[in-house]
Amino acid sequence: MHRFKRENISYIFILLVLLGGVMLLAASMGAVPIPIATTLKIIASKVFGTKPALDVNTLNIYETILFKVRFARIVLAVLVGVALSVSGVVYQGIFKNPMADPYIIGVSSGAALGATVAAIVFKGLGVFGFTLVPVLAFIGATLTVFFVYNLARTGTKVPVATLLLAGVAIGALLQALTSFVMILGTKDLHFVIFWLMGGFSSKNWDHVMVMLPFLILGLPLIFYYSRDLNLLLLGEERARQLGIEAEKIKKVLIIVASLLAASAVAVSGIVGFVGLIVPHIIRLITGPDHRILIPCSALFGASFVVFSDLLARTLMAPTEIPLGVITALFGAPFFIYLLKRSKRGLF
Amino acid sequence: MLRLEEVHCGYGDDEEIIKGVSFSVKKGEFVGIVGPNGCGKSTLVKGISSVLKSTGEVILENEGLGKLSATQIAKKLAVVPQNFNTEFGFTVHEIVSMGRTPYLKRFKGESPEDFEAIKYAMGATDIACFTNKKINELSGGEKQRVVIAQAIAQEPKILILDEPTSHLDINYQLEIMELVKKLNKEGLTVLMVIHDLNLASAYCERLIMLRDGVILDDGLVEKVLTADNISRIFGVDVLVHRNPLTGKRYITSVPKSYASKGKTKGRIHVICGSGAGVPIMHGLKEMGYRVSAGVLNVLDTDEEVAEKIGIEIVSEAPFSSISDGAFKLNLDMIKKADFVILANIPIGEGNFKNLLAVERAIEMEKKVVISEETPIEKRDYLGGKATGLIESLYRRGAVRAKDSRDVFEIIGRMSRCQS
Repeated sequence: MHRFKRENISYIFILLVLLGGVMLLAASMGAVPIPIATTLKIIASKVFGTKPALDVNTLNIYETILFKVRFARIVLAVLVGVALSVSGVVYQGIFKNPMADPYIIGVSSGAALGATVAAIVFKGLGVFGFTLVPVLAFIGATLTVFFVYNLARTGTKVPVATLLLAGVAIGALLQALTSFVMILGTKDLHFVIFWLMGGFSSKNWDHVMVMLPFLILGLPLIFYYSRDLNLLLLGEERARQLGIEAEKIKKVLIIVASLLAASAVAVSGIVGFVGLIVPHIIRLITGPDHRILIPCSALFGASFVVFSDLLARTLMAPTEIPLGVITALFGAPFFIYLLKRSKRGLF
Repeated sequence: MLRLEEVHCGYGDDEEIIKGVSFSVKKGEFVGIVGPNGCGKSTLVKGISSVLKSTGEVILENEGLGKLSATQIAKKLAVVPQNFNTEFGFTVHEIVSMGRTPYLKRFKGESPEDFEAIKYAMGATDIACFTNKKINELSGGEKQRVVIAQAIAQEPKILILDEPTSHLDINYQLEIMELVKKLNKEGLTVLMVIHDLNLASAYCERLIMLRDGVILDDGLVEKVLTADNISRIFGVDVLVHRNPLTGKRYITSVPKSYASKGKTKGRIHVICGSGAGVPIMHGLKEMGYRVSAGVLNVLDTDEEVAEKIGIEIVSEAPFSSISDGAFKLNLDMIKKADFVILANIPIGEGNFKNLLAVERAIEMEKKVVISEETPIEKRDYLGGKATGLIESLYRRGAVRAKDSRDVFEIIGRMSRCQS
């Protein structure tokens, strides 16, 4: 068993290095390119109190760009990446269905509808400084997942085909409603496109603070139940025979996964396929054990979203491509590949 | 050790499948639950293992399972499901390790005792050689062994198996049954739902027979596995034999056509012995004749078969020569028959009277068919006396048949002429 543990530590180490690298790259690239070495020096100056050898003007500009703009965006991308990929892992485990992903099963659309209603109908309403946006996003996501689950379920199983059909149908309906509410409310099509295609433009540390509590609450809970998720993959009945309260744990996990997905949607709109691609790639490397699959997916998901966002804002600069477009360009072909392969067995 | 008292359970409120079942299993027993599909065997397993809610008491080692958590139950009672499928590529070791779940603390890995239990389970089921293989790459039989290992790793007091062999080929069925038997010999109490009555008879000590959610019979295999019980729960006629190798009971079906009580075509008396009459008696039964046979020694193969398929017989004590009394009864049967058939039997001192009976049949002007698959000279243990008599029978009108199939053809032809 020790052998496996050492392997796992090295996986996490490699993924951490990857994430650090991608974040650094994302911090350095953009409308104002900053040399990577300079970025490192500026970070070091903040951490160790050293003085980077730069003239004061340039330093001030760089510091503003990095700390006010890019870092907030990168950290937000990290959080969204973690939330989407971990919720993808959990949905896949609970549904015993490798095609589950917050976007594909319609949860993101449900969250988006909730968020839109909060932003447009109850504009300005809030509790304790929080806006209603994440709250209604969460309600939208949770209602959607229970609805889609019960629609797709045959007995205790959730077959791939019915889950996809139910998810697509409900997702399309919810997206239409979202667009409808938006057009009634704003007539601003850019705003609509942002929600439906996702992205981080003009996001700042406030958004980070909106999202952070959900992750702090959700991730430990999911990790707490990671072993139980392994057992759930053997079926609810078998899980119970092996000594876990499958029904209860399943409900808790569905709610927490929806919470994560909803918090991501509340700050970034609908970003698809992250929760599908990331766990699949990681599973190929680590195997299906959730105790390692979850942390690795979180790290890789973060890297993936940071990198996709980097592409989104640099590929056609100064025009920004919606983030959902980039992830779909990666994700849709991957999804088709999985569907083709699923004829032989999904994992 | 396990006691059920008036257990009721089912799916939902209005669908009660198990309608009051009570029994107990003693430590070290190997008990089988048999019954037709839909009688509630699997539901009962779910009720016992608390996967389904049940009313009544399930008591394991003086503790009611109703009050225990899933974890506590999993430490005492392990279930092996009918089939086990996961598309996820866990390794065999990972799957077996999951059996330790009830013993593990949150955020802690396996302790040395856990590894010991896993190792023991893998050794006992002989799967140590594919520790690192993926579960979804194994064959059905291998998978089933892995699941049994997972259950053993739970260190249960009782192992409950729900038709563990129903999806397997016969070689794997036997392999799994042998494995369970071995585990039982090593002290594990076993309760097994089993569909195949012959496997049940070969491996279980005691059987509980279920029908429509209630116990129909409960006891040692010999007591429960009777043709009568089986016809009551499955609605078919069967023959219960003894396996010549093990002495255990085994069951074969009776072809439907035998049971038809419609009009028969006519009466045929078969003179046979030592197995030569079996195909003839079966064939004639199937053709719809009323068949009798004689004289047969008790314990002779032909005698056993004839009795089982419901043929009237004249019998003689085991290994004895035919007595005058039996000879006379035999002639009475011949008198009633339309045809008399002499099977391809060896003729010696002991059964020479059967040959004389054939001669008397000719004298009674019965139609006689003699099956001569082996030339009579080779079966004549009376130094030509039998051969001579048979040749004279041919001259006096007996028809010679090449084999039993030829017998049926001749009989068929003769019947048609008659009617």
